[in-house]
Amino acid sequence: MAASTFDEIRGIASDILGVPAESLNASSSPDTIESWDSVQHLNLVLALEEKFGLQLSPEEIEQMKNLGETAKLIEAKLQAAPR
Amino acid sequence: MAIVIQPYRQEHESAVQEFNRRLQASSGDPDLVFSQSASPRWLPPSQDKPVWNEFFVAVDGSAVRGTYALKQELLFIRGSGLQRVACYHHPLSEGIVDRAFASVGVLLARDALVRQPYLYALGMGGVDRPIAKMLKALSFSLTSIPFYFRVVHPAKFLRQMHALRQERWRAILMDATAVTGVGWLGIKSFQSLTSLRGRTPSFNSEEVGEFSDWADELWSHGKDLVSLAAVRDGNTLQILHKADLASVKSLRISSNGQAIGWAIVGERRKDAKFGQMRVGSIVDCWASSTHTGSVVKAATRALEASGVDLIVTNQSHHMWCTAFEKFGFLRGPSNFVFATSRKLTELLQPLEENQKAFHITRADGDGLPANF
Repeated sequence: MAASTFDEIRGIASDILGVPAESLNASSSPDTIESWDSVQHLNLVLALEEKFGLQLSPEEIEQMKNLGETAKLIEAKLQAAPR
Repeated sequence: MAIVIQPYRQEHESAVQEFNRRLQASSGDPDLVFSQSASPRWLPPSQDKPVWNEFFVAVDGSAVRGTYALKQELLFIRGSGLQRVACYHHPLSEGIVDRAFASVGVLLARDALVRQPYLYALGMGGVDRPIAKMLKALSFSLTSIPFYFRVVHPAKFLRQMHALRQERWRAILMDATAVTGVGWLGIKSFQSLTSLRGRTPSFNSEEVGEFSDWADELWSHGKDLVSLAAVRDGNTLQILHKADLASVKSLRISSNGQAIGWAIVGERRKDAKFGQMRVGSIVDCWASSTHTGSVVKAATRALEASGVDLIVTNQSHHMWCTAFEKFGFLRGPSNFVFATSRKLTELLQPLEENQKAFHITRADGDGLPANF
């Protein structure tokens, strides 16, 4: 995964979850971050959609198991998007 | 395996039972439970009825990870007429007890919005609860529906009102006023004095088993006074309030033989925040503008006669709020929230002005069966 996309997502997640960006890594997930509940999951989805100008389907939202998976998903969608 | 949200069918019932068991085992909350039956007992789907319930499940292989219900109904909206909408209720997600399923809540809410963009939710326990926060994030507009109460038996109220007795000093003070009778005198005096402002012409109140043409006329005349109300014509009321709840009564209020309003009253099931008190509720009411006071009085008297200790109601319309205040009802903090989706909110503009004339009560949303 490209470092820049992951870093951007990590910054967004840091703001939403209220934790330092340095404490987040690819395996950070609702299981490892106390503040990552269903409401914050929705906020993360909405923030990513706005930031990257895309729409996440239910199947894609479900793929967001951790930040690493989320970054891979966003990258794949950005590459597939018409330029 | 991908989670798929689909209509709840009989083949999902055992998975829903397992889902309920997991939620209850992990949360200890007996209210975290979805219908074990795929067919709604309250308001089952029917082609010839204006209001019905639909259930949905989030299926993950052979397991169910989430559920929700839509109450399909018609709202009258000033300027738009009748609008088909749905009430989003009983959303339950495995994410409540297992964070690996944190995404399920999002999937449920978004799925409901796709099925019915004109969506609302009601209740939710306050604007700071997860479901309310989630809807706000999805651009819903949130407003609290005012809560009113009237104390019938002050001594019991002072001793049993757990929600007000959380702080020790306040509990001691309430006990002292209950023992000395000061509390009784204070509450009764206040309510008696304020009730003087609520004097009404003579009227007759009777319990009725059905809503018919007289209710249609009241709906037809009264709806011009509201900016939003779920349809309350005779047919819809008959479906919503058919006599299958023994603790709920329908009252027809008349003057000189002419129906001037109606009220739905009932005794709520026991709730820890009310201690051992018997709590009566004015669930719903409707009247032409000049008769709100008579309806409030009739409903209050009926509940007082049934022996309740406290009477509560939620009312949003300024006309009804005034009528309850004039009859000695006090306003308390409300956790009863009305949330409207972006599409529905567009029909309600200007929102700040129009919401004063919304007619939202405890009969709306998931309504009676939840609390009685």
